[in-house]
Formats: sequence, structure tokens, C-alpha cells
Amino acid sequence: MSAAPPVAVEPSRGSAERLRLPLALAAALLAGFCITALVSREPLRAYLTLLTGALPEIDWSASGGWQVRRLVRFGSVIEDFITLSFLGLALAVPFRARQFSLGADGQMFLAALAACAVSLALGGPWYRVLPAAAGAAMLTGFAWGLIPGLLKVRYQANEIVTTLMLNLVAVQFYQWIITGYLRDRGAGYLVTPALPAAALWPNLMPHTHVTLMLLLVPAAAAAVQLLLARTTLGYEIRAVGAAPAFARQAGMPVTRAVTLSMALGGVFAGLAGLHLSNALLQRLPVDLTPGLGYDGLVVALLARSEPKSVPLAAFFYAWLRTGALAMERSTDVSREMVLVIEALIILFIVADRLVPPGLPKALRRLWHRSGAGAEAA
Amino acid sequence: MPMNLTSTAVSPGAEPALIELRGVSKRYANGTLANDDVSFSVRRGEIHAIVGENGAGKSTVMKMLYGLEQPSAGQILLDGAVAQLADPRAAIAAGIGLVPQHLKLVPSFTVAQNIVLGSEPVRGLLLDTERAILEVAALAGRFGLAVEPRARVAGLSIGEQQRVEILKALYRGARLVLMDEPSAVLTPQEAQALFGTLRKLVDGGLTVVLITHKLGEVRDVSDRFTVLRGGRVSGHGDARRVGADELTAMIVGRAVAPLQVARARRADGGALVAVRQLGVRRADGRRALDDISFDIAAGEILGIAGVEGNGQAELAAILGGLCLPGEGQASIDGLVFTGRGVRAARAAGVAAIPEDRLHDGVAADMSITDNLIAADYHKAPLSSFGWLRIDRARTLALQLIARYGVLVSSPDAAIGILSGGNMQKVVLARELLARPRFLVASQPTRGVDIGASQSLRERLVELRDGGAAVLLISSDLDEILALSDRIAVLARGRIVGHFDGGSVSAFDLGPYMTGAREQGGASALLTAPFCGAAEAGYA
Repeated sequence: MSAAPPVAVEPSRGSAERLRLPLALAAALLAGFCITALVSREPLRAYLTLLTGALPEIDWSASGGWQVRRLVRFGSVIEDFITLSFLGLALAVPFRARQFSLGADGQMFLAALAACAVSLALGGPWYRVLPAAAGAAMLTGFAWGLIPGLLKVRYQANEIVTTLMLNLVAVQFYQWIITGYLRDRGAGYLVTPALPAAALWPNLMPHTHVTLMLLLVPAAAAAVQLLLARTTLGYEIRAVGAAPAFARQAGMPVTRAVTLSMALGGVFAGLAGLHLSNALLQRLPVDLTPGLGYDGLVVALLARSEPKSVPLAAFFYAWLRTGALAMERSTDVSREMVLVIEALIILFIVADRLVPPGLPKALRRLWHRSGAGAEAA
Repeated sequence: MPMNLTSTAVSPGAEPALIELRGVSKRYANGTLANDDVSFSVRRGEIHAIVGENGAGKSTVMKMLYGLEQPSAGQILLDGAVAQLADPRAAIAAGIGLVPQHLKLVPSFTVAQNIVLGSEPVRGLLLDTERAILEVAALAGRFGLAVEPRARVAGLSIGEQQRVEILKALYRGARLVLMDEPSAVLTPQEAQALFGTLRKLVDGGLTVVLITHKLGEVRDVSDRFTVLRGGRVSGHGDARRVGADELTAMIVGRAVAPLQVARARRADGGALVAVRQLGVRRADGRRALDDISFDIAAGEILGIAGVEGNGQAELAAILGGLCLPGEGQASIDGLVFTGRGVRAARAAGVAAIPEDRLHDGVAADMSITDNLIAADYHKAPLSSFGWLRIDRARTLALQLIARYGVLVSSPDAAIGILSGGNMQKVVLARELLARPRFLVASQPTRGVDIGASQSLRERLVELRDGGAAVLLISSDLDEILALSDRIAVLARGRIVGHFDGGSVSAFDLGPYMTGAREQGGASALLTAPFCGAAEAGYA
């Protein structure tokens, strides 16, 4: 018997993984720039605005001393960052159980509605109304996430289909309740009455809606991290997602893990809803745009469903969105461009398995050769 | 022909073989040597059987002939000229067709559509459906294979579908048809009909290579045969003149270095594990297991010998709690544990080494620690009130890695980077963690190097000596013979023979495994009689 060599560990696996995200981002940004160059007369400036438009400006003048300007714009980055972080977490949890639940949108709408209704109905001091609103939002998200989970394990209903359909139901229900029951008759458009001040999160940045909810983002990410790494349920969710047959063989309660992963994701979509109603908008308009949940999808994909990375990915994404608004306002490129770049990022990240396995090696060789060439020159 | 032709070395006067392998070896990228210096030739107009156990290298030979794999060394000659079969397209162009074991037809298409798929007759830009039907009908008539061209494949029996696959190969101009275990999916009557058809086709000038592990198909159906064992040719000859014993010897060979295991028969004590009248059907209604009864005493290893696919997987799944039994039950110390889920079975003291290590045995992307705690994570001391005690899990993992000799630097490494042997040590360590009273070990040393196999087997014996019952399901006959205190042979979902492990050889088991012999009403109860010499004599 000839000695078989030990099973080769794919040597390129680690470096390919490290290269993946920067490569995907770089490729997307590069392709985005090419498209910008096609549609703009001054592509460089437009692109620079996209990338730096969200930065606050720090000026020094003899008369006024140090001045920080454009904080409102930076504030909107943080506002988006908060919403997107929660939505990213909402999708990351079911993703870890390999459940492609896309229900964050509907969960968020209903949770916002629940938080708003509780705030309006309850009133009273902040220590009574705020926890009640938060509880209502999280519970609503949990319940609306539980439904597709149960449908999946009971009837093998595909979670992609059920969550998308439930999103429609949730949005229509939201509009019906606001139009019919929560409408502020005094307002000139369809909107709920403004929430009482006690129900609002304390503000952190003047002229923006950045509130104390900002501190909830790291807490939520840490909670998900803790759940996945340190609890038996989190372990089951990871095992079911990594190798379902293995989990079954080991005797894990697979259906419970699947259901709870979707419901627990809903809790964080609920927090996003709370942020919308009790911090960002402070009253809910009937025409709240659906689709934010799909931005959460991009965040979860960017973060590879790793709760630690979700805030980072959310910040990057919020940054890009705010930069896009700046680009639209000050250059001839429309913000649809950013949608294109976003789409490209998703495409490149989803395509990471298509990166040929030899690529990292080839890049390294190229690097060494160009280094040698430079030395020779 | 689109092939590289070079000069040939054929003795003058002799007609070159239709296809010939000369010193062909195949080593896969992971180091497995699937074929080693394989040489044989197939004559025009014969049915040539390639025989061997699972893992003997039959499939690899077939894949190389069909261009799915390339030889690492040696040559394939077609009509006496060296051929490069780079892909199935080249093989088809050279007149080689394949009828796969698991038929690959489009169920919603008609027979004619399936047969012409990929080389459809066209009229302008449109498919010429009428001509396809006519051509298929003509083809079927010429070869005497009755099919209805307009019938939907979804409504056909497996036997009919197989005819469609054969016609598909013929439609593409095959002169040589490779058939991969064609009778595995057929009823005996269908198989009989198929072999009748093959004989007619061969009489009409076609050549057939039949891949099989059934002795009957070699001796009754084929003209010549080649036996593979461990990737090498271990025999060949005229199929009509070979005796069943001779053929069995070529297939199973002799144990190279039989493991010496002290057998510890305990006369006292009854059955620890009692399995009674277990039966289950497959999704298509055929019986996967039929009236299986056996006992295992404490401190005993019962070996299940048999060709794979004869009910072993179903037996392991039911005993492990993954599947519900159709009939019957199994118990430990009188406590029934089947049909209640995996966790209930584990709570009753059952542990299982799954057959497919990478799919069921480990989560390749998770850490070694995560893999080690998979069965016991929900109990103290590994968790309390829903919180994992990861410090304890890690300490436990370090202990187990040392105790089982797993070669790895850290328990935090993903288990997927380990070799098969080290991975299996982790699986075994996990399964033995809860001190099971009954271990179902399916193919415990498959794809594991010799050193690791030895240590895994020693663990099984240790477990047995500690008073547990072990069910050893293995297609490695040497392993079964070396470890088992008693042996039951499983064929077509039934126990067809019961043997005393200490006094039986591969030669005795071979005819039972291949279906040539059967012990009437066999079971493996502690009180059941062994297959004796008295029952010798061919069925």
C-alpha cells in the first residue's frame, strides 16, 4: 500500500477569504466609477462627493475659531446606521440557521406601528411609556417572524416566499390602521399624531434625530454575538445552518432552532421599527417607503451574517447612502448611481465562490513580479 | 475520428479488441489510488462483466472509459489505437455510451424527446418532433426494444426507463454500452428481461460492459469477466466456465493481515439490545428492510456483512432514531428506543457513527470543540440554564484530542481541515462521550488510513470489553471478520445468514452476500442457529 499523502488543506482558502471583501468592494467601486464616468461630465468630482460627502467639515477661522459644519449630514449617516444595524442583525440571525427569511421589512412596519400605538395610548412618564413601546415593538417583530418559521417547519413552506408575502400583508395592514384608526385629523396628510415627548428617545445631536438608541446598537450586536456563541440555542442555530444533517444526527431540535432563528431575527427588526417611530420620525406617515428591509439584506450579506461585523457594514452602507444624496445635490449624477453600485456590491459578494481558486496565488505572483520588475527598473 | 491515433502493437492476424486498458492507474487529487495498473480488453460483440466489491475501483474504470475521469498513467486503446477520451463528448463521438445506475431522464419529457435530447433533429430553427418520433420508433424496432415514443417518461416503470437510456446511447451511435449496476434498481423479472434484451443487442453486433457485484450476473449473463479488488485486477476469464467459489475468492480475496482480536464470548447474561421484526419501505414502496431480528449481548460485537445498499443505511437510521420503523422495534434492557427521535434514542444509551462522515458526522466549518459537544451540549456540565459552558467544552476538547490522539494544534480549528482518520477520531470521541450502552458503527474506518483504522478498531473492542453492545456495519469484510463475535449477512433487506465470528471466512460469507446462498428463516438472535456446513450446497 503506497502511503497516501495527508488530505491537502486547501492552501489558498485562508488568503482567498481575507481577500474576498476588499476585492468585492474594490471591484464594485471600480465598476461604479466606470459607469459614473459614462454618465457624468466630471466623474472624478462626482465620485469624490459620493465617497466623502458624508464627512462633517471642520473649519478654522480667526473670527469663529474651530467650527464643525455639515453635522446634519453626518447625523443622517448615524440615523441610517442605527436602522440598518438592527435590520442587518434581523437578517443575520436566520441566515446563520440557513433560513433565507426576508421578512424584516414587514416585521419593522408592524413593530413601528405597535410602538407608535402603545406610545399614543399609554402616555405618562418616559420610564413607563418607553419600555412599553420597546417591548411592544420587539414582541411584534418576534411574532411576525414566528409565523414563517412555523409555516416552514410544519408545512415545509419556503421561507423566501412566505416572508415576502407576509411583508405585503404587513405593509397593507400598517396603512389600513393608520388611515382608519390612528390618523391625526388635524394634519393635512395621512399621518399619526405626533408622539408625546416622553415617548421619544433622548436626543444626542442637535438638529438631527440621533438619539440614545445609538447605544442600543452595540448592545444588540453583542446580544446576538452572545446568543450565537454562548447559548445552547445559538449553538443549535449555528449547527443547523452549518450542517443540517449533522445537527439531526446529533439529536438537536432542528425545527425549534429554525423557527426561533426567524422569530429572534424579528426582535431586531422590531428595534428598527421602534427607532423609526420613537426616534427618527416621531409620528408615522402612511406612505412610509417599504424596502428598507432589503437594505438590511445588503448589510447582513456584507457582514457575512457575523454580528460583530454588522455595525461596520451598516456604517459603510449608511455612509454610501448619505454620500449619494450629496452627490445628487451637488453634481450631475443622480443617486440612482448609488443603487447601481449597491447592486454591484451584492453581485460581487454573492459571486465570491466564483473567484477562481488560483486567483490569490496569481495575484501574489503578480505582486512579486511587479516588485521584481520595479527593482530591475 | 477526432482522436489521436498512434501506431499499435497488435499481433498480426488478431483482430484488435474494441477497447483495451493497458496499465491504467488513477490517483485522485486527494491521494486515493482508485485504480492501480489495470489491464484488460473487451472484445467486439461480447458482454464483459467488471466485478468487484464496493470501492474496488469499478466505477473509476467506468468513468475513465466515458471520459469523466482521466487516467493518471497507462493507456486506453480503441480499435487498437490509443484514444484520448477528454470528456463524455469525445467518448460519445468514439461510440461509447453510458447507462448510469441512477437513471437521468427528464420526467416531464416524452420518450422520444429524452432520446434525442442534445442531438435533436431540426427543421430550420424548429425542433422536428415528428421526425424525432419516427427515428426513435425505427431505432426501437431495429434493436427490438419496445418503447412508446410519445409516452411521458414520468409514467414509465424503472425497467422501461432503463430501455430509454439504452436507446439514448444507441441513438447517439454507441457501439459499446457501459452499464453501471443495471439490475440494482430492477425487480428480478425486470432484470431478467433486461439481460434478455442485452443478449439480443450483442447478437446484433453491440458490445456491452456490465459493471456488477452479483455473481449470478457474471455467470449467467456475461461472456467474459474481469475482477477488480482494491483497485487492481485480481482475476479474469471465461464467465461460463468459472465456478462460484473461484469467483468469490477473486472478489473477496484473502485478508492481508487479519487483525488479531481476542473474542470475549460471554455465555451468561441475555440480550442487552433486542431488535424484533424490524421492517421499513422506501419511498417507492419497495422493501428496504424486512423482518430483521437480532440480539446483541453486553460485551459483544455483531457484524453486519453485505453489499452496500441492501438495507444497511435504513437499519442504521432506524436504530439511531433518525427514521421511524415501518414495523417492529428495538429495545435496550427492555426499554424500546426506536421511533422516538434521535434524542430519545441517545438518552436510552444509543450512539451512532454515521456512514457518511462529511455529511452526517461532522459540521466541516465548525470548530473541533463544537463538533465534539454536538451530542451532549444540552446537558450538564457542558451547559446550564441554556448557557453553554464554553470553558468546560474547550477543556473537554483538549482532553479528548489528547486521549484519542487527534493530530491538530488547537481545538478551535475547523474540523474540515483534518484528515479522514483524525476526523473520525473526533466523531468516535463524541459518540463515546456519553458512555453509550449500544453503539451503531457504520463504516467506521471508511476512507481512513491504516494507522488510524487500527486505533479506531481498538476503541471499538475497548467499548465492547467495557460491556457495551456494538453493531458493526461495514463493507470491509476483513474488518467484519476481525472484530465480530457473531456475523449476520444482510441481502435485499433481510438477514440471509448467521455465523459464528471466530470460525468463518470470507469464502463462507461471499455466496450469501452475493445472493447465491441463503439460510432459510435466518435471524441473529442469541439462540438462533449458525449457518453450518450442513447447509452448504448451492441454491
